[in-house]
Amino acid sequence: MSAAPRPRDPYRWWRAALGLYTTLFLGFLYLPLVVIVVLSFNNSTSTGFPLTGATTKWYGQVLNSADLLAAFGNSMAVGATAAAISTALALLLALGFRHGVRGQSLVLNLILLPVLLPGIVGGIVLLIFFGYMEVRSDLWTTVLVAHVNYVLPFAFLTLYPRVHGFDRALEEAAMDLGATPMQVFRHVVWPILMPAVVATALFAFTLSFDEFIRTVFVSGHDRTIPVLFWLLVVDEIAPYLPAMAVVIILVSTALSLAAFAIGRRADRAT
Amino acid sequence: MPREDREAAAGAVAVAIRKVGKRFGSVAALDDVSLDIRRGEFFSLLGPSGCGKTTLLRSIGGFEAPTEGDILIEGRSVLHLAPYERPTNMIFQHLALFPHLGVRDNVGFGLRMKGADRAETARRVQEVLRLVRLEEYGDRRVDQLSGGQRQRVAMARALVNDPAVLLLDEPLGALDLQLRLQMQEELRRLQRQLGATFVFVTHDQGEAMAMSDRIAVMNAGRLQQVGTPAEIYERPANRFVATFVGHANLVEARLTGRRQDGFAEAVSADGLAFLGQAPPHAGARDAVLAVLRHEKLRVHPSDTVQAGVAASVVERTYMGSSLRFTCRAQGGAILTADTPNDMPGRDIAEGAAVLLDWSPADVVFLTE
Repeated sequence: MSAAPRPRDPYRWWRAALGLYTTLFLGFLYLPLVVIVVLSFNNSTSTGFPLTGATTKWYGQVLNSADLLAAFGNSMAVGATAAAISTALALLLALGFRHGVRGQSLVLNLILLPVLLPGIVGGIVLLIFFGYMEVRSDLWTTVLVAHVNYVLPFAFLTLYPRVHGFDRALEEAAMDLGATPMQVFRHVVWPILMPAVVATALFAFTLSFDEFIRTVFVSGHDRTIPVLFWLLVVDEIAPYLPAMAVVIILVSTALSLAAFAIGRRADRAT
Repeated sequence: MPREDREAAAGAVAVAIRKVGKRFGSVAALDDVSLDIRRGEFFSLLGPSGCGKTTLLRSIGGFEAPTEGDILIEGRSVLHLAPYERPTNMIFQHLALFPHLGVRDNVGFGLRMKGADRAETARRVQEVLRLVRLEEYGDRRVDQLSGGQRQRVAMARALVNDPAVLLLDEPLGALDLQLRLQMQEELRRLQRQLGATFVFVTHDQGEAMAMSDRIAVMNAGRLQQVGTPAEIYERPANRFVATFVGHANLVEARLTGRRQDGFAEAVSADGLAFLGQAPPHAGARDAVLAVLRHEKLRVHPSDTVQAGVAASVVERTYMGSSLRFTCRAQGGAILTADTPNDMPGRDIAEGAAVLLDWSPADVVFLTE
């Protein structure tokens, strides 16, 4: 007794085409990353193919380079500070917007407009502005201002929906139970919004950490990781560049994943 | 001092609403509302959505500011007090339990905000959890509780503060019928046990009837009638109350005379004659609205009684515990009767000739 012939799948060509498309799509996305990772272990003094053997010495060089460590320190410090400042400003704005401020939509548009401004224009504008104001380019003045300026709209866009969706009845309930406005914030609003605030700060940090085009105009002698990277590419195709890229990818990915995970917790909480 | 102010000062009145109005632009959410809520009573604000009952409740709690009038709690004006300074606690429509706190911390929130001693807080929280029968649930998170349990947490969270007035904003609205009836009983039990003053907002007349010592019926921002459930039901003050609470036959009629025994006579345009409670301020020939509750109208098969209004059954509707007969009286008036399912005559069919009668004491004449 033989099994009944299975009906032919009318979509089999579509399925095959979709599989091929998906493979190509993911290939375009991830192949360059795979190549970088492979090259970072390539024992060759010139960056690129052919592969001439495996080594981890480039990672050793990267992790012991004074320039790189200085730039890494700069990026971490400016990123943390810019994230803190822009998240705090975004939180205050979002909290204020719930009460219906006068001219609210104008303010909202003014905050979001810089997102549409091309980065290179933003960089030139900042350069001219700081030149006019006679501010010397330096990490803690021009770079920090440029980063807060760039990150704030994104921080606001991330945080506002969470703050806006906060159930006002919870605040009323707290007030009804005798909490003053300060106590309402401390015991109800802050604990519930905190995961969203942390996720926003991490997101802001990764944006600052990756920011290049504005920074390169205003960084002066101080270098952040992307600026250093660019100088290394322009000055010399250093053999340890792929290893450096991998380190940066790892740091950025870890931070983004953390932000994502905390953001999901925040969504469940509110 | 006017009489009502003396009464408020003497402590018989928990909440005094004095000519309170609330305008949003040209729309009046509350219009000249005055009423006294007595200490220790279960008082309901009843009306359709948008009638102003929630606005009035939130004004007592301090979440809305009236644009006119005054609100006194225990004889003291509270309009200048913020919600956290008022001796009231509210149970919110969607409960508004704090999602980041466990049951115990939710209940103890009010005491903590007032800086109560830690051991004292723990003791009072446990006590009030026992009161609402949740003593085993102190360590739960609020999202691990059933709907009924969440209701009880909300009650405990408010009651632990020992409020002068407990405000309830339709907290049972989201529950299914069985649980709702159970929580109604629970609320009533708590209120009696504590002797507390409850102000309960609802659009459900059955709920208001079953739970309240007194009811204020509201519509379009105005107070329609204040009274016990029986007064509201048996002696509606106007057409709105007569139709919003229960089911009634409403017949336009004109007074024709007043009798020695206190009843008045009226005749409708289609010739139906009524005897009923004489309206206090009506002239001898005034137009009135005769109100007769469906269940006060009796239907008899023609061959079983001698007297009554001759009519025929237009429609017979089976409603479970009762039967509804829609009848056309001689002259054309349509009258509806609700008859208990065990009454003789429940087998009356559509088209049958019947005699209708009712007691004059059950007819209310409204002058409008």
